[in-house]
Amino acid sequence: MKNKMKSTEKEFQPKNLAFSMRRVMAIALRTINQFRRDRRTVALLSIVPIVIMLIFGLAFSGEVINLPVLIDNQDSGLGTLIVDNLVNDTRVTLTNGTYEDGISQVENGNYYAVILIPSNFTTSILEMLAGNLTSAQIFIYLDGTKPTIRASLLGALRDAMENAIGGNGVRVVQTLAFGGAEFSGLDTGIPAVIAFVLIFLLVIVGVITLIREKIQGTQDRLYSTPLRSSERLLGYVIGLLLIATIMIALVLIFGVFVFGAKVQGNVFLLIFAALLFGMAHVFLAVFLANFAQNELQAIQFAPLTAIPSMALGGLFVPTISLPAWLYPVSYVVPLTYGINLFEGIMLKGWGFKELWLDFTVVAVMCLIFFILAVITVRDRMRD
Amino acid sequence: MTIETEYAIETQDLVKIYKTGKVQAVNGLNLRIKQGEIYALIGANGSGKTTSLNMISGALFPTSGSIKVLGYPIPAKRRLITNYIGLAPQEYSIYEDLTLEENVRFFSRIYGMNKSEFETKFTELLQILRLEEKRKTMVKNLSGGMKRRTSIACSLIHSPKIVFFDEATVGVDPVLRSFFWDYFRSLQDKGVTLVITSHVMDEAERADRIGLMRAGKLIAEGTPEELKKKHNAETVEEIFIKLSEGEVINEE
Repeated sequence: MKNKMKSTEKEFQPKNLAFSMRRVMAIALRTINQFRRDRRTVALLSIVPIVIMLIFGLAFSGEVINLPVLIDNQDSGLGTLIVDNLVNDTRVTLTNGTYEDGISQVENGNYYAVILIPSNFTTSILEMLAGNLTSAQIFIYLDGTKPTIRASLLGALRDAMENAIGGNGVRVVQTLAFGGAEFSGLDTGIPAVIAFVLIFLLVIVGVITLIREKIQGTQDRLYSTPLRSSERLLGYVIGLLLIATIMIALVLIFGVFVFGAKVQGNVFLLIFAALLFGMAHVFLAVFLANFAQNELQAIQFAPLTAIPSMALGGLFVPTISLPAWLYPVSYVVPLTYGINLFEGIMLKGWGFKELWLDFTVVAVMCLIFFILAVITVRDRMRD
Repeated sequence: MTIETEYAIETQDLVKIYKTGKVQAVNGLNLRIKQGEIYALIGANGSGKTTSLNMISGALFPTSGSIKVLGYPIPAKRRLITNYIGLAPQEYSIYEDLTLEENVRFFSRIYGMNKSEFETKFTELLQILRLEEKRKTMVKNLSGGMKRRTSIACSLIHSPKIVFFDEATVGVDPVLRSFFWDYFRSLQDKGVTLVITSHVMDEAERADRIGLMRAGKLIAEGTPEELKKKHNAETVEEIFIKLSEGEVINEE
């Protein structure tokens, strides 16, 4: 009896106590199997990285290009040579105009800069070579709100001067638009953070909140109560917008008081723009929640909505710099208008007069997402 | 609302075919449940009990057939009727990240109750369901039985005239279960109609009448005594097994 017990122990112990590759593989295979069952995740994981690579590759294909610039060349000699060089520079797209008109065109956002080459430019250069003058001048009135754009504009002008005349001794007189607005990386980052909070967090938080209700079974339960679908929809919107308002307030307070960021325009207009933009995305979240069955699928909306819109909406490079075939896409990306609004109000001090078109587009998007949310919000269990 | 109908619930040739999967969950159900009755709908998993409750409570629309609750057609008048019914679903279906009180308060607000109405009823329910101590506890920290009772509290807060308990006593210990039944009887004394589903047969024996469901229809109905007599059985479980075997043989 004793011997028998011992032999049994020997038979069992090593097999169960040792580290077992069989058990490891059981976990591994089960994980793969579960993953394989979720077709949507499989599809997304194979498509999304490629799409993101493409978008990012194209959106960040180098420096900021295609910036619209007005040129007022009053000099027929060397000035023409500089203009010829600028024409060939991909960073800028030149249009002829006058300096006075150009200033207002930059102020209302049609152009990023206006360059004036005075009529005495060639003469000044010659005088300089003769030792009678120390420098010749070129004037540029430019949008300095974004360091990348400013660097591209000045870089293009410097390179053109260098190629044309060697560049030595020419003084570029810069005047910054929007009351001399000049921002560092942090200041320019705040509108982007607001946009990020509104799009990314609101859509993801919104969808997950709704999905959780689906998973917990409370959504089905509510169908047998007097609650109307319109009441439910409005309730979600108010709740999520309040959360968004707090998030925006935090970003603004922290940005302004801790990092010293400037808000050039009207704070109330900014809050209004943020609420309108946020509302559109709450409706979008309610609509998207219909297409997700669990939290994992909800989180997948992040790469599908937030990342492409950041790349294509002008968050990193101005939309004008996108490849020609991709540029039209930026018109249907909500973030494009969000960026216009937030940067316009915060960095450029614009008001409703300059931004009415962007406000209108965001309002229309809000309406479209609202309609989509209303027609898809359920008032009973799935048939 | 005045209720002059004898029946709390009437269904006629009720059919539900789910579009996804084309499953026929309910297949010609004819139910008549009197006001003030405790009715137990029993059957195996997948026999169509929950689908039937969901249709009667207006949450799910039938494929065909008709439903009347308190004399009003469902789903046409479901907005009105949902004020008078309470449903505790099979899953707990409450908010895990809210406290017990917050959950019940939420449902009271959905039913348009004011603060004092809520306080009065909630205090009463906490005592009956023995949850006084757990009032401020987060639902996710409650035991299964306590979550079940919280869910029941949510379905009773608005003093409904008809209550549906879908597998309400699952995960509830025998002592508490017996206590539940005392409470069910006290509700009945106030004229409340109770419809409970269960796959625990001894549970059903406490009901006034039993409906036995199989494959989406009623295969037997009556008081526990009537059924036992008719099928020459000692317990409801025996009847159920007898009838189920018959079905299996018929299917073959």
